[in-house]
Amino acid sequence: MTTTTISRPAYGIRVRRLLGVASVIALAIATWLALFWSPRDAAMGEVVRILYVHVPNAWLAYLSFVVVFLASVGYLWTKRPLLDAIAVSSAEIGVLFTGLTLVLGSIWARPTWGVWWTWEPRLITTAVMFVMYVGYLLVRSLSTDLERRATRAAVLGIVLVVDVPIVHLSVTWMNALHQLPSVLRPDLSPTLDRSMLTALVVMVAAFTILYAYVMTARVELELARQARALAARQ
Amino acid sequence: MTIGRIILVAARDLRAERGQPDGLIAAVTFTAVLILLESLVVGPLTARQPAIAAALFWIAMSFAAILAAARSFDRDLEDDAIDAVLVLPGGRDALFAGKALALAATVAVVAAVGGALSLVLLSLDVSLPLHLALVTLLGVFALPPVIVLDIVLALRLRARAALVPILALPVLVPQLVAASNGTAAALTGDATGALAWSGLLLAFGILYAVLGLALGPAAID
Repeated sequence: MTTTTISRPAYGIRVRRLLGVASVIALAIATWLALFWSPRDAAMGEVVRILYVHVPNAWLAYLSFVVVFLASVGYLWTKRPLLDAIAVSSAEIGVLFTGLTLVLGSIWARPTWGVWWTWEPRLITTAVMFVMYVGYLLVRSLSTDLERRATRAAVLGIVLVVDVPIVHLSVTWMNALHQLPSVLRPDLSPTLDRSMLTALVVMVAAFTILYAYVMTARVELELARQARALAARQ
Repeated sequence: MTIGRIILVAARDLRAERGQPDGLIAAVTFTAVLILLESLVVGPLTARQPAIAAALFWIAMSFAAILAAARSFDRDLEDDAIDAVLVLPGGRDALFAGKALALAATVAVVAAVGGALSLVLLSLDVSLPLHLALVTLLGVFALPPVIVLDIVLALRLRARAALVPILALPVLVPQLVAASNGTAAALTGDATGALAWSGLLLAFGILYAVLGLALGPAAID
């Protein structure tokens, strides 16, 4: 593995600070839009507002695991430690947001479906995806050799991404209680009310900026860990 | 990677299994115990329902395949045979395919014994025997690529025995769903359903075989 030198260029710190400030501002605007500006739903009433955190959480879960996949392909191709750091950082964030998606979905299901959990394709495939990436982190935690760990994780990061489209399309493929996709639809025509869609898009953008902020911090931490491990080995 | 080397690795594995069939015996015994337990735990009427019997059979098959594959790799690690295969020209590439092929043959034997036991002990009626044979055959070939790849990933890691089911079973969910539904369809006489689920099994079998062939060599420690 190539030796990693840790440097914190001034522009890197500035970019992270900028992302931090941007995510706070974007989240504040999105929260106002979601809670006060967007209308209540005709059928679900105020309960619909959980949509504005449930969907962005699910989006970040997808995004994180696709980033794990891309970084894993890149790592196997180039063997650059930075790409391994990106993969593990994104996997951890993805596991967190998949867990939150499941919890928020469960909270939403109680008033709308009358149950906290039901054996339904979208719920099960999401729970399976959560377990898969917990397994990914487990494999990493059990490997001690840096290079072997990165290679194993990269292979797993590529294999596991197959579940992402399965989760998204499970509601289309199987009879599901969960509603069909309302934004990322095959015909590219969202079925949401325009103001609801605006609030949702702003919230998704805010969450994506938050993801970028957390990623920059976590990647830097991982690079420092890699450098410490390499220094201890020498 | 040549077909000859793959067959060499698979034949060596099957010869070792024939000489010391502890992996096969463990897998067959495990499947038989699970089929017997099923009718005791859920009751004979529930156990005879095609959907339940099929699901239990394929869950038993996936665990049995993990057992057999783990034993095969253990045997190679114990006598350092795996290192000998890896130093052969093209050995790294042939290892994944050879092991998967040998495991498919072992799982086919387990499926034949377990399937016969299920049919006799649960008094199951088979409406479409050819469709059932097709689903079983595709199921037998769809499980090994994922299991061998996950064992390779966890090779020489502590807690491997716990890690492999955690890694393999979630990835096997589509294959298990397809195999269980396809088997139930063949038992109940739904030819269209059996063929549709067979198609899905084939698709996932090919997908993971290709991924395993492409990534397996990189994952071998």
